[in-house]
Parts: sequence; C-alpha cells; structure tokens
Amino acid sequence: MTAPAAPARPRKPGPRPFFIVVGVVAVAMTVWSAIQIDFTLAPFFEGNPRAWGIVQQYLTPNWAFVAQVWPQWLETLLMAVIATFAGALLGLAFALMGSHTSNRAPWLLRVVRWILSVLRSLPEIGWAYLMVAMVGIGSLAGVLALVIFNMGIIAKLTSETIDAVDRGPLEAADAAGASTMQRIVVALLPQIWPGYFSYVLYVFEINLRASAIIGMVGAGGIGSVLNVERARFNYDNVSAIVVGFIIIVIVLDVVSQTLRKRLM
Amino acid sequence: MSTVTSARPAAPSKLPATITFVAVAAVVIACAVALRADWLALLELPERIVTYARLLTEGFWANPFADPQRDWWAVAFDFMFDSLYIAWIGTLIGAILSVPFGFAAARNVAPQWLVWITRTVLNVIRAIPEFILAIVFLLPLFGFHPAAGALALGIGSVGTLGKLTSEALEDLKPGPVEALRATGASGIAVLRWGMLPQVMPEIISFWLYRFEVNIRAGAILGMLGLGGIGFLFDQLFNGREWARAGIALLVTVVVTIIVDQLSAAVRHRIIGAEQFTHREVF
Repeated sequence: MTAPAAPARPRKPGPRPFFIVVGVVAVAMTVWSAIQIDFTLAPFFEGNPRAWGIVQQYLTPNWAFVAQVWPQWLETLLMAVIATFAGALLGLAFALMGSHTSNRAPWLLRVVRWILSVLRSLPEIGWAYLMVAMVGIGSLAGVLALVIFNMGIIAKLTSETIDAVDRGPLEAADAAGASTMQRIVVALLPQIWPGYFSYVLYVFEINLRASAIIGMVGAGGIGSVLNVERARFNYDNVSAIVVGFIIIVIVLDVVSQTLRKRLM
Repeated sequence: MSTVTSARPAAPSKLPATITFVAVAAVVIACAVALRADWLALLELPERIVTYARLLTEGFWANPFADPQRDWWAVAFDFMFDSLYIAWIGTLIGAILSVPFGFAAARNVAPQWLVWITRTVLNVIRAIPEFILAIVFLLPLFGFHPAAGALALGIGSVGTLGKLTSEALEDLKPGPVEALRATGASGIAVLRWGMLPQVMPEIISFWLYRFEVNIRAGAILGMLGLGGIGFLFDQLFNGREWARAGIALLVTVVVTIIVDQLSAAVRHRIIGAEQFTHREVF
C-alpha cells in the first residue's frame, strides 16, 4: 500500500470582484480629487517666511484677553445648555416617530425619516447661515441652529437604540391592550434612557465645538470673537482663545466620558 | 382554601425623576434668561420661515437650462464637488496616519508607555476642531489653498480614527495571533497576517463613515476661504442672493444624502448589517 499523495496545496482564493471594483473606484477618486484640488505638500518643505512670523505671534498668547471676553465664554456655555435641552426633547420626539418599533404608521415613519436625513445632511454652519438670515445676527440664531443640529444627531442615535430594544416588554404591553402612548411610556422609554442620556451628554460636548464654528458666521458666542480677532490679525488674542477653548473641551470631554461610562 | 388576593405592589416612587426634571428645567430657564437673546423674535419665526422658504425656493421652479439659472446650478455643483474632493483627500490622509497611531494605542499591540503617549496625543487632536488647525497652522503656511483644507480634515480625522482603530484591535480574536506566534512568526508578520485581516473590514468602514463626517466638517473650512461649498454659502448669504442660496442648499442636501447612502451601502457590504453600533463612533 502506497502512502497517500500529499494533497495539493489549495489555490489561494482570488480577490472578490466587489472589492476589485471598490478598489479601482477608490484609487480613481483619489487621483481625480487630488488633481481637482491641486493637492500639494510643497509649502511644508519650502517653508514660508511670513508664516514663521505668524506662528511666532501664536506662540506668545495674550492671556489677559481670555478673561477679558468672559461674557462671550458665558454666552457660548448658555447657548450650549439651552440648545442641548431643546434639541434633546425634540430629538426624542423625532426618534420615537422615526423608529418602526414605536411608530406604527408607515407613512408618518417615512416622512419623519426623510425630514431627519435632510436635517442631518446640512452642516451646522449651513443652519447658522439660514438662521442668521431669518432672525438676524446674535445668539438667538446660534441657539436655533444648534437646536436643529442637535435634534438630528439625537434623533438618529436614539432611533437606532429604539430599533434594538428588547421586544418582550413591548409584546407584554400589546397583550395587555396598551395604547401606542402607554406602550412607549411603560415598555420602551425605560429601556432607552441610558443610551439617550449618554447621547445628550455627547451632544452637549460637541455643542461647545459647534458653537465656536457657528459663531464665525455671526451667531454669537466665542466664535464671533475668534472671527473678529482673526480678521484684525490679532494672532496673540486668537491664540489665547484657542488654547482656552481646547482646555475647556478636554476637561468637558473627560467629565462627560466619565458620566457616560457610568450611564452605559 | 385561601383566595388569591395578593395586594397590588405599590408603584415605585416617581419623586426623584420629577425633582431632577424640575431642576434641569429651572437651570435651562435660568440660562435662557441669562442669555438675553431676542426671544420675542421667536414669535415672528413662523412668518419668517414662510417668507424665507419662498425666497429660497424661487430658484427651484425657474427653468434650470435658461441662462442665469444654468450657471447657478453649475456653480453650486462645482463647489459641492470641490467639497467632496477635499473631504476625500482629507479622509485618506487621516486614514493613512491613523493606522500607525491605532496600532500604537492598542494595549494588546504596543507597550504600556507608548499606549499612554499615543492616547494622550489622540485625545488632544480630538479636542481641536478642524477649523482651528486651519487658521492657526495651515492658513499661514499654505494661504487660501484647498490642500490646506484637506490637511486640516486629515489631521482632525486622526484623533477619532486612531481611537476607533485601537479599540477594534483590542477586540480582536486572539486565536489567529496565537497560531502565528506558535509558528514563530516575527512581530511584523503577526501584525500583518494575524491582526490586520481581522480588523480591516471594520477600519475601512470607519474611514467611510469619517468621509461622511468630513463632507460636513469641510463646510466651515470653505467659509474661511479654503474652497468647497462653505465658500459659496458665505458669498450668497452675505450677498443676500436668496434664490442662488436656495439652489446651493438644495444641491448640498441632495449630494450629501446620495453620498451617505452609497457609503452606507458599501459599509454594510463590507461588515454586514451589525455595523459598529457597540463602539462609540458617535
């Protein structure tokens, strides 16, 4: 009896067509985009004498300025709190209407989902421009833009959480003859609170960042200060604000992440 | 025989929840008073919305192939596509940079001290908004060049992408890694054949997700003059050209939604329907 021949080494599977197509498209898009925006890294190597002067101004921040604009810091904080609260309430309502678990009317579901994807497709600065146009320059425009922005995020995340809830309590509520509202309050909301509150905290965190952005277009808060100082070439003031801003964001990040870990 | 009359248990107290809600509401009202915004303007808001909705949609109904409008649509698409290009290149830069950062921040790959340093760097990057990177470092160096925008988005993306990559690595199945170690594979071979294939699908879907985020984040850079749709918004809204602004908004919404859908479809295809819901991508 001869020993069985060693089995041939199996052939290495070739790449799947889907991935070849995706890869080719990705490379083509990269080359095309780079040409279109005339991408270059040359300034890094060539340097730019003017740039060095500006960077030096950034390296000597005018710390006194941070305290000097405290009303605008406060304004930013107040805007973030109000917008988070309003965005959280509206976002919850939209999330409940945007999940097939809690909303059993298909047409309403479709309309709400459509509205939500439009809300999320515009960047916060787009909303800021719109709101400044409608209610004029100032913090009200900022609050409104943030509310819409927050609503979109909270509704999206919360409706995903709602989709994933345990069906047991919902079935029990149905079996007991609960109305849509009773079913939501008794069987659904208790399941989503931890996720929901952590999303609210997260939104508060990004609101501080977003409020700096929307301030740049005249929607109040520290962003407005940043824009003015930048336009006046007061780089030492800009630098102080930026450092203050980053410290606040990091501190809030740490606090909010600790809270979120306890919630989840 | 006893009758089964167990008393209905008392409902748990709602007092703590109520107190919390009232306290939060009080804080928010205090904030609203302290903000001194023009709250009365809210009463006029519905009327304003109607007015501006009419102004902004005026351009939609005019024949898009007649003369001024054709140009308006073409310009809006041009700027929106610029936004896509900038976001794509930016995401790519972030993706390439985030892989080494991700490996260096994963506890099961890198030594403790390196993990600590890398994570601190990633946290600091995540705290800096893209537009600050742009105005502080890139504008002075590049001037008003879209490459500065792409770099700002790229550096900004490293924070999130690096963190997510390291979390994906920490979650990987130890089996293949142990098998490779058992065959005496070198450290690099373990990374390449034991770890990378396991995390690559998830990492690529993070990249796509970040691309979606960067399309939106790029708008602020455009407003600073670095190209893309934000620049057009700035021109049109400051010039109060409502019909054109409406067209620009519509183009933004439509293009963004289409790109989101495409990207989500590819992501689903790559990692299946479960997505990365268990990770804090939000």
